Amino acid sequence: MRSLTDRHPADGTLRRLVDEPAGVSDADRAHVAGCAACLAGLAAAQRDAAAVASALRTDAAPDVDAAWRRFSAASAPVRSAVPAAPRRRRVALRSPVVAALGVVLILGGAGAAAAADWLQIFRTEQVAAVPVTEAELVALPDLSAYGDLKVIAQPDVHDVDGLAAAREATGLDVPLVEQLPAGVTGNPSFTVGGQLVAEFTFSAAKAAQAAGNAPPPPAGLDGATFRLQAGPGIAETWSEGHGVPALVVARVVAPTAYSTGVPFATARDYLLSLPGLPDSLADQLRTFTADGSTLPLPVPAQLVTSSTADVNGTTATVLASRDGAFTGVVWVEDGVVTGVAGSLSEDEVLAVARGLR
Amino acid sequence: MVDAVRADLEVVFRRDYPQVVAVAARVLGSRDEAEDVAQEVFLSFGRSRVPADEAPRWLSVAAAHTALNHLRSGRRRAAREEAAPTDHVAPDIADDVVTREERRRVRAALAKLPRRQAVALVLRHSGLSYADVAAALDLSPGSVGTTVRRAESALREELSTHAFAD
Repeated sequence: MRSLTDRHPADGTLRRLVDEPAGVSDADRAHVAGCAACLAGLAAAQRDAAAVASALRTDAAPDVDAAWRRFSAASAPVRSAVPAAPRRRRVALRSPVVAALGVVLILGGAGAAAAADWLQIFRTEQVAAVPVTEAELVALPDLSAYGDLKVIAQPDVHDVDGLAAAREATGLDVPLVEQLPAGVTGNPSFTVGGQLVAEFTFSAAKAAQAAGNAPPPPAGLDGATFRLQAGPGIAETWSEGHGVPALVVARVVAPTAYSTGVPFATARDYLLSLPGLPDSLADQLRTFTADGSTLPLPVPAQLVTSSTADVNGTTATVLASRDGAFTGVVWVEDGVVTGVAGSLSEDEVLAVARGLR
Repeated sequence: MVDAVRADLEVVFRRDYPQVVAVAARVLGSRDEAEDVAQEVFLSFGRSRVPADEAPRWLSVAAAHTALNHLRSGRRRAAREEAAPTDHVAPDIADDVVTREERRRVRAALAKLPRRQAVALVLRHSGLSYADVAAALDLSPGSVGTTVRRAESALREELSTHAFAD
């Protein structure tokens, strides 16, 4: 028999009663049935659930056939690129996915957008691969959940006509390839981008809301502003059929960050202590030096292996897809990130890297 | 392997596309934008090794996160709203304005929620079970109700402060 001294079920239990009453214990159901306070709580949960359901309602009824045609057209190079075994490594490059992966890896892991938000608080002097799983990438919180992120300058990525124009647009020494690997021919196309500048202002209140049981921030962090910038950059691309790269050589001014007085280590340690960042990723990031000089490069652990190699006296990170379809090498020298990637062997990529002038 | 076409891609696409669009549409309030997000999500799925039987949950979670990213960035929405004509008057312009304003309020409120609450809310209202939401967000099933309840309460409060009428 229920007693008035029974403990009231939590709000979450009342909410579940709205959707999945079978998931609530008999004891809790019995308590609620006889408890005026809980019935009032249940009614409130029902009202809020109904209101939100109404607010979020959607009449989306897509045309699946049309959507599939659009998807097929957009991914046609990928879909036509299932290779015969002997040619697999070379043909596989025709996938824009591989091409995109190469550019992403070279230019600093920007494709892992959420991760990049965290990483740009570093001043880059070296690069280190950080294996991450898809689940970890999906689980990463937005930096905007912890403060206000404002883009001051967009990089305006666009193609230019040639080497001279690329140099003029970026002010960078355009890397020249001494000798193209076998099978890579023709002239490169040039893509340039200006400087990306963003400012992030940390908000203890937002962090507390986003992270739930966030620990109190260290002195000075609440309201502190970080100015993040990267670029300009340039990419030279040699295409191999379908306009997809056989070889990409890229150079970009490494990401840097400036704060309004808060040391990077302080900000980094606090951000890494917040709930929400996957534990394994946070653990890896903690192993980097506290001076903020290492740019962690998120790489999909299931797809890519990483190692290191020497490029003319500088330690470089070598990334290779597990199926051999793609290899890239990236290193930092004098505040500039340079990378070479393509559907090439590690030896071929390193030969291009070491031969850049 | 990053590029080969999954043998089951078309089957999964045809089976799950409407659900992916529905999840994204709940976040974005726009079918066009939701379909853009769905294309993105399936492109990611196409190069993943997610088992087909886990695809529905994976796709729903990816759709929620991707749509929230779009929502928070505000780029696509702003671009679309700027592109929308404001000077041509349709007979039902009043209704149209009210609807658009309500949608804007809902999305703004949704964007303010903590990421986990927002995802849990959208997934639950997209029909995922408590067990699926729990697995997707690495929560205990018992805490899904709490997370959803807090999200609904916060959303309702946010909407109420702006005189939103249900």
